[in-house]
Amino acid sequence: MSESKSSVVIIDDDESVRESLANLFNSVGLDVKLFSSGPEFLRSGFPDSPTCLVLDVRLPDGSGLDVQHELASANVRVPIIFITGHGDIHMSVQAMKGGAIEFLTKPYREQELLDAVQLGLDRDRANRDDEQHLASLKERFASLTPREREVMQHVAQGRLNKQIAFDMSISEVTVKIHRGQVMRKMNAKSLPELARMADKIANPTAGFKPSK
Amino acid sequence: MSSRAVFSGARTVAPLALGAMTAAIFLIDVSSNSNVTVSVLYVGVVLLSAGSAHPRTILLVSLGCAALTVVALLLSPPGESFRVGILNDSLSIAANAITTALVLRGRSANMQLRERAGLLELSHDAVFSRDMGDVITFWNPAAERLYGWTSEEAISKIPHDLLETIFPQPVDDIYAELRRTNRWEGELVHKRRDGTELIVASRWSLHRDRQGQPVAILETNNDITERTRAQEALLQAQSDLARYNRILLMGEMTTSISHEINQPISGAITNANAAFHWLAAEPPNLEQVRNSLDRIVRDGHRASEVIARVRALAKKTPPQMEPIDGNEAVSEALALTERELQRNSVKLSVQLLRDLPLVSADRIQIQQVILNLVVNAIDAMSGTPTDRRELVVSSGCDVTDVFVEVRDNGVGLEAADCDRLFQSFYTTKEGGMGMGLSLSRSIIEAHGGRLSVAPNEPHGAVFRFTLPTFDPSTSDQPA
Repeated sequence: MSESKSSVVIIDDDESVRESLANLFNSVGLDVKLFSSGPEFLRSGFPDSPTCLVLDVRLPDGSGLDVQHELASANVRVPIIFITGHGDIHMSVQAMKGGAIEFLTKPYREQELLDAVQLGLDRDRANRDDEQHLASLKERFASLTPREREVMQHVAQGRLNKQIAFDMSISEVTVKIHRGQVMRKMNAKSLPELARMADKIANPTAGFKPSK
Repeated sequence: MSSRAVFSGARTVAPLALGAMTAAIFLIDVSSNSNVTVSVLYVGVVLLSAGSAHPRTILLVSLGCAALTVVALLLSPPGESFRVGILNDSLSIAANAITTALVLRGRSANMQLRERAGLLELSHDAVFSRDMGDVITFWNPAAERLYGWTSEEAISKIPHDLLETIFPQPVDDIYAELRRTNRWEGELVHKRRDGTELIVASRWSLHRDRQGQPVAILETNNDITERTRAQEALLQAQSDLARYNRILLMGEMTTSISHEINQPISGAITNANAAFHWLAAEPPNLEQVRNSLDRIVRDGHRASEVIARVRALAKKTPPQMEPIDGNEAVSEALALTERELQRNSVKLSVQLLRDLPLVSADRIQIQQVILNLVVNAIDAMSGTPTDRRELVVSSGCDVTDVFVEVRDNGVGLEAADCDRLFQSFYTTKEGGMGMGLSLSRSIIEAHGGRLSVAPNEPHGAVFRFTLPTFDPSTSDQPA
């Protein structure tokens, strides 16, 4: 959905590294935003277009892992690619556990970095679409009356109209009417789709987990 | 000719020949006319006896000659010629007496010279003399032992050829100084007969005759080969130790250093990759390609500068004194420790005095001292909470000196530590060698400065070293 241009955020205290990365991403048509430290980036506010973070594990004023923690605790899920000058196993494990996409050790191959960034951007775009989708789903769900929501839950569980009518102590005809309203308001084309929507609302993060 | 040559010549006139000569003069004197003063020839006998005989013997010879003169006179016929004979013989006896007196005086001077020469023979130092044509005229036994050339072999040779002398300064300058002050002292390199080299402390003195004309040079040489070698070995050991310390320091800073080198290299590679992409674009973006190439060049230079700095620290080079900017030396050294400070969460603040006067120093050694102090400060702060670790490096100057201070807020020092801190092998660090500070102090003192420590308020320590400011007027070579 979001057609706003995606960008790569580069956080590195070394100007020549920062600029060279900017040059590389520019050369493949990506926009960049440059920051020399974690706090500087955190103060800048979060971009609302698809973003991928590329940062050095060792940064002045706190490590790259700190930036990862800060973002996680602010509930901002941005894909992060770590770059390090020295393979530090402990750090890379921490980073991957914290949900980093990639942990690259210098000297890395340029294609690895570009692929990782592409993956990050795709994932962020998907996340953002997903969030968007969920938000509209919740909006639609909110437009249902309490009775309609109850009926929707029963339908999603695969129950028959007469069972629902019995459980709710209403007539089968009334169930049918509610059910039609639910399908229309939720914009669901089939029963299975409605069931998925109900799942999504009940368990919003399920679809976000990395597929691996 | 030397006194020694005169002595050896005189010794060869046998007493027998003298007796024969005396007898011949006596016979001629007796048999000849009184008008002819033959007896004056006794002067020759006295002169010839002077070479070998004891002073008393000379006196006896002289008296004997006088007596023989009188006897010859008494044997001559009386009359007119007898009176003439008395006059002539008185004259010859007077001549004889004067000659004897002169001989005896010269004799005592000769004796003194002989005694002196005897003392020189006994000397443990190699002593030889040479005339103004540089021909050896005397060579003592110690010289024989030192050089392996006997007196006979050495005499009448030119010492500089014989010993293949290497002079510390132009020979003409040495002779000029010798003529001006009558003395010269310095170190010479000589070669023994067996070809081995030796270093001698050499003292030359110039001898002049009564008219003040230079006549001879006395050279006294003292073998200092061992001493010089020991000193050289000591200096070498110190310089090796300093280098070892630098390499250890760099070992402690490998993370910093490899990062400093890796950053620009990785920048260059990334820029080169970007350049490929710009070239592959349709149409190729040459402006950006040029831009990328500029950055690659810049990054390459940066990497090679770091490597040059590290190499300079690791290289085995003799200290090289030159006028340097203290602030520059501080900044360069700190550039190598930057990452180390970051890694240890130490906040660095640098307060350098602008327009700091130049100091005459060896850049590498001064940077070594700074690195030692910074690495120590980082260690000292390992127990300080990370948000309070602060290192302040500052520079300043007073009338005669430039100073650099390294201030930490670490554990600080016990009063007892302060005394022993600069001793070799004293360490408060686990795994420390205890060389850093003692080396740093000897480096600073060799530069004519001082390295001291004081407590920092409220915590930690301040290390401060001074270096004399560079004064172009006292420097021979303002590099």
